[in-house]
Amino acid sequence: MDDSDYAIVVENLTRTFSSHHNGNPKKVAVDGISFTVKKGEIYGILGPNGAGKTTTIKMLSTLLIPTSGKATILGLDVTDEKNVRTLRNRINVVSGGERGLYYRLSGRQNLEFFADLYNIPKKKQKKLIDDLLELVELTDAADIKTENYSRGMKQRIHIAHALINDPEILYLDEPTIGLDPEISKEIRSLIRKLSDGGKTIILTTHYMFEAEELCNHMIIMSGGKIVGKGNVTDIKNSISNSSSIRVVTEREPVFAIESIRTQMNADSKVTKLLNGRFVTKFTIPIEYNDLSMYENIFRQYNIKNIGVEEITLEDAYLALVGDGEE
Amino acid sequence: MSFRAVKAGFRQQAIQFITDPQWIIPSLILPFLFTMVMLFIYRDVTGPIVLQAVLGGGVLGMWANTLFASSFTIAYDRMNGTFEPMLCSPTRIFDILLGRSLWNAFIGLLNAILIFIVAELIFGTGLSLMNPIGFFFMLILTLFSLSSVGMLISTSFVFTRMGSFFSSIFEYPIYVLSGALVPITMLPTSLQYISYILPPAWGIDAMKYSAIEGYESMMGVSVYTDILVILILSALFLMASFLVMSKVERRILSDGSATRY
Repeated sequence: MDDSDYAIVVENLTRTFSSHHNGNPKKVAVDGISFTVKKGEIYGILGPNGAGKTTTIKMLSTLLIPTSGKATILGLDVTDEKNVRTLRNRINVVSGGERGLYYRLSGRQNLEFFADLYNIPKKKQKKLIDDLLELVELTDAADIKTENYSRGMKQRIHIAHALINDPEILYLDEPTIGLDPEISKEIRSLIRKLSDGGKTIILTTHYMFEAEELCNHMIIMSGGKIVGKGNVTDIKNSISNSSSIRVVTEREPVFAIESIRTQMNADSKVTKLLNGRFVTKFTIPIEYNDLSMYENIFRQYNIKNIGVEEITLEDAYLALVGDGEE
Repeated sequence: MSFRAVKAGFRQQAIQFITDPQWIIPSLILPFLFTMVMLFIYRDVTGPIVLQAVLGGGVLGMWANTLFASSFTIAYDRMNGTFEPMLCSPTRIFDILLGRSLWNAFIGLLNAILIFIVAELIFGTGLSLMNPIGFFFMLILTLFSLSSVGMLISTSFVFTRMGSFFSSIFEYPIYVLSGALVPITMLPTSLQYISYILPPAWGIDAMKYSAIEGYESMMGVSVYTDILVILILSALFLMASFLVMSKVERRILSDGSATRY
C-alpha cells in the first residue's frame, strides 16, 4: 500500500507527564504505540479510563506535543511546528460532553464564531451553517441559546462545529458517552453518514457494541500500550485459545467468581442482574472449558443455565485489557 | 493576523456581555464606586485636584474593565471547555484576545464617560475641561495603552489556570504607577522610572494636559511627545504580548496544561 493511502501513520508515539506525587516523577500516558489508519475508514481506539485514548487523540490533533516518536497526519509530521496551522485546517475534534460551548450564544452564533476562526468567508458561512444545522437536525433550535440545549443537542452542535472546516480527519472522543440510547443511535448513524461521505474518523469509545458496529479497524489500549489491534475478527482471534463460559444462577455467585479467578487463571468476569437472576461470564484458557467443573463451582448458587459461548468483542476486550481495567 | 478572528473575538465578547447580567457589576456599579471613593479622598480640595480625582476614577474603571474582562475571558474559556476548540483552530489566540480586548476597551470608554457623568450630575464636581475634544482623544489613546498592558498580562491566563494571581499582582500597582491615584511626581524617584515605561502613565499625563490649563507635564515634555511615547510603548507592549503569546501557546501544548482548569 502506498503512503498516500494512509491518513495517519503513528510510530513509537510516547507521551509522559511530569508528576511529583507519590515520589513518581513521570507518568507514562502513552507508551510507544504504533498503528496506521487508511483514508476513509472509521478507526476505533478502545480502552478503559486512563488507558491513554484521549492523550493519543490530543497528540494526533496537535493539542499536545509528543514526548517522543512520530505521527504523520495527511503526510505532515505533527511534531513539526511549521505544520501545525496547516493541519488544523484539515482536521477537527469532537470532545463533546456538556462543556465546549458558549452558553449565552445560540447554536448558530457558536457556529459563526468557530467559522470565523477557520477563516471561512461570511458569504459562504450562512449556507454552510444552515447545511450543518440541517445535518445534525438542529435547524429549529438554531437560534436558541445553547444553555437551553439538552445533552443530545449539545453533542450534535459539537459535531456540527467539528465539521465547520470540512475536515478530512475527524476525531471523536467518546461521542455517545452519557447519551440515552435513542440519541446514541442517531449519533452513530451520523458518524456512518460522515464516513460514507469520505471522512476518516478516529473514534474513542468505551462501548464495545459501538466499536463493533462502526469501526473497520481498531486498537485496544491499556496502561498506555496497545494490547490488541486489527478488525473485530482479528481482535476476537487474538484470544482464540480461550473460551467464554456463561452461567445463570439464582443467587449471586460471589465465591465462585473468586474461585475461578484463582484456580483457572480466568482473565475476566462480568456479573449482571437479569430478571432477578445473575449472569456470570468469564473467559478462560481453552483447556479449562470442561463444563462439569463449573457446575460444581456454581451448584450452591442454583444453576439455571450453563454453556460455552462464542467469544464476543467484549470478551476479547476484557481478556486483553485484563488488570488495566479500572 | 486574521482580521476575521479579531472581529469574531469582538462580536463574541459583545454578545456574551449583552446577554450576561453579571457584567453590570464591573460596568455600571464599579464606576460609581470608584468615583465616590476618589471624591471622598479629595473631598476638602477644589480646582484641578478634583479633576485628578475624577480622572483617577475614570482610569480605575477603564483599567479594571480592561484587565478583568480581557484576562478573565481566557479563564472563562478554560472553565467552559471552549479553550481547547479555540486552540485547535488555525487562528492564533492573540487575534481572538485582541478582538475581545477591543470590545472591552469600548466598554471601558463608556465606563469612563459614565464616571464623568456621575461626578458631574450626582456629586456636582463642576468640572471644566480646557480642551474637551483633545481630552476625548487622549482618553481613547489612554484606553488603547491600557489595553496593550492588559494584553500582555492576559498571556498569563493562557499560560496557566492561575492567571488571576498575576493579574491581581498587577492590578493595584498600575493604579498607582500610572498616576491615576496620585500624580507621578509624588511617587519616590525609583518608582517614577517604572511609571515611565508604562504607556497609561503617559496617557494620563496627556489627558491632564488637555484638561487642566497651565498643567506642567510629566518630565516637562510636550503633549505631542506624550502621544508619541504612548504609541511607541503601546506598540512595544502589543508586540511583546504577541511574542509571549506565541511562546506560551507552544509551551502549553508541550506541557499539556492547555485543558486544565
